[in-house]
Amino acid sequence: MMLEITNIHKSFGENEILKGVDLKIEKGDVVVILGPSGSGKTTLLRCINFLEKADQGHAIFGDIDVNLKTASKKAIHGIRQKIAFVFQNYNLFNNKTALENVTEGLVIGRKIAKAEANEIGKKALDKVGLSEKYNAYPIELSGGQQQRVGIARAVALNPDIILFDEPTSALDPELVGEVLTVMKQIAKEGTTMLVVTHEMSFAKDVANRVIFMDAGVVVEEGSPKDIFVKPKEERTRKFLKRVLPEDYIFYI
Amino acid sequence: MSEGLDYKFLVETFFVALSGVPTALFITIVALLVALPLGFLLALTRINQFPVLDRVAQIYVSFVRGTPVIIQIFIIYSSVPLLLASIFEKYNIEMNVYDVNPIWYAFIVFSLNTTAILIEVFRSAISTVSKGQLEAAYSVGLTNVQAFRRIIIPQTLVVALPNICTATVNLIKATSLGYALSLQEITLRAKVAANVGYNYVEAYIDIFLVYLILCSLVEYLFKLYEKRLSRYRAVGI
Repeated sequence: MMLEITNIHKSFGENEILKGVDLKIEKGDVVVILGPSGSGKTTLLRCINFLEKADQGHAIFGDIDVNLKTASKKAIHGIRQKIAFVFQNYNLFNNKTALENVTEGLVIGRKIAKAEANEIGKKALDKVGLSEKYNAYPIELSGGQQQRVGIARAVALNPDIILFDEPTSALDPELVGEVLTVMKQIAKEGTTMLVVTHEMSFAKDVANRVIFMDAGVVVEEGSPKDIFVKPKEERTRKFLKRVLPEDYIFYI
Repeated sequence: MSEGLDYKFLVETFFVALSGVPTALFITIVALLVALPLGFLLALTRINQFPVLDRVAQIYVSFVRGTPVIIQIFIIYSSVPLLLASIFEKYNIEMNVYDVNPIWYAFIVFSLNTTAILIEVFRSAISTVSKGQLEAAYSVGLTNVQAFRRIIIPQTLVVALPNICTATVNLIKATSLGYALSLQEITLRAKVAANVGYNYVEAYIDIFLVYLILCSLVEYLFKLYEKRLSRYRAVGI
């Protein structure tokens, strides 16, 4: 088991967003979390990376075993070294070029020599199809290109797992494809991924496991076939009916 | 009186006024060295609504902004010596408080004053840098200090620079109030020179010119620096 989260709770004020979620991820898994907005998907991802502090919960991450509420700074730093994060709004460093965005974590966070980091960074940018844009600043890039830099920044760290928080939700529809293509490619290379998305095609074609969340709990989980073709729970069926076109037929 | 301006005096006094520039700049630089880091830190306490400190900073800003600098000078100049005298007495330090160089009072007043102005400047500038970039910095393994030094502060500075420039120019001009502390700065030197022959008009023109040249130069330097810092913003716009 690479990542195991148990009984994670999180409230914002009176509003309980996560009500005891468990999650297990094996090496090489591509897990997609589906669910209506407000169901806690993003909060779950953010709690795993300590961008939000969970109110309760436990995580085992390789050799690190922590309480999500009381984790020390050192433990948090250690876990963040193993996890990379791709944000909905890209969150590129606006004062850095594409290449500097990718190498920042390597040079400053991991103390890798600059020349070596540049090599790694260029390779990561090549992989996402941005060989021409090493020295472009974020403001010069389209949304799709920015998100691909965001993915390159995550890949370059060579993390154990990459968390994707609705990576295509902020994009113009015609730019979604280029980002999904890159994500499919890195999934094919064996990268462990945990993806929150509304892209059903990605869940169907790429994921080996789909989790359906609603109102702060995991309603059901299984293979894409389990979830899309023969969902057990009424809530899942209702959700799928809402998000999928009526004549949508699954061929798996 | 009827012969118009005394050009010889005008030129001579220009250089007298000019000789006060180092004092004015010295006060300005000390005030900025104190106020830039302090203003930034206190701006952070305001943004993060850090308990107590946040309120203290808020009250401090309204006190400083709501009172004239000259009154702040009078208050510091009259109260600090009393305070020092009692401290000296208590610890048996053999020192006359009236021997203290008045430039120290200028340092105190202008540092306090500029800090208050920069708190507000930084507060608005920091909030223009998205919180997401800070999260991204954490997610690639940067510590808090690294994230601020490499990502947040450089971008904050670019946004804040025009306002820091304004604050600096205001500060330089405000050092003219140092004459109330008998500081040998631009205004006092020219005025003293004018006292001899009552050539006040010439002296005031000189003072006017020296501040104008000094402030224009500072503005120009800020513009250059801003251009250099904001490369990443200029390209796309």
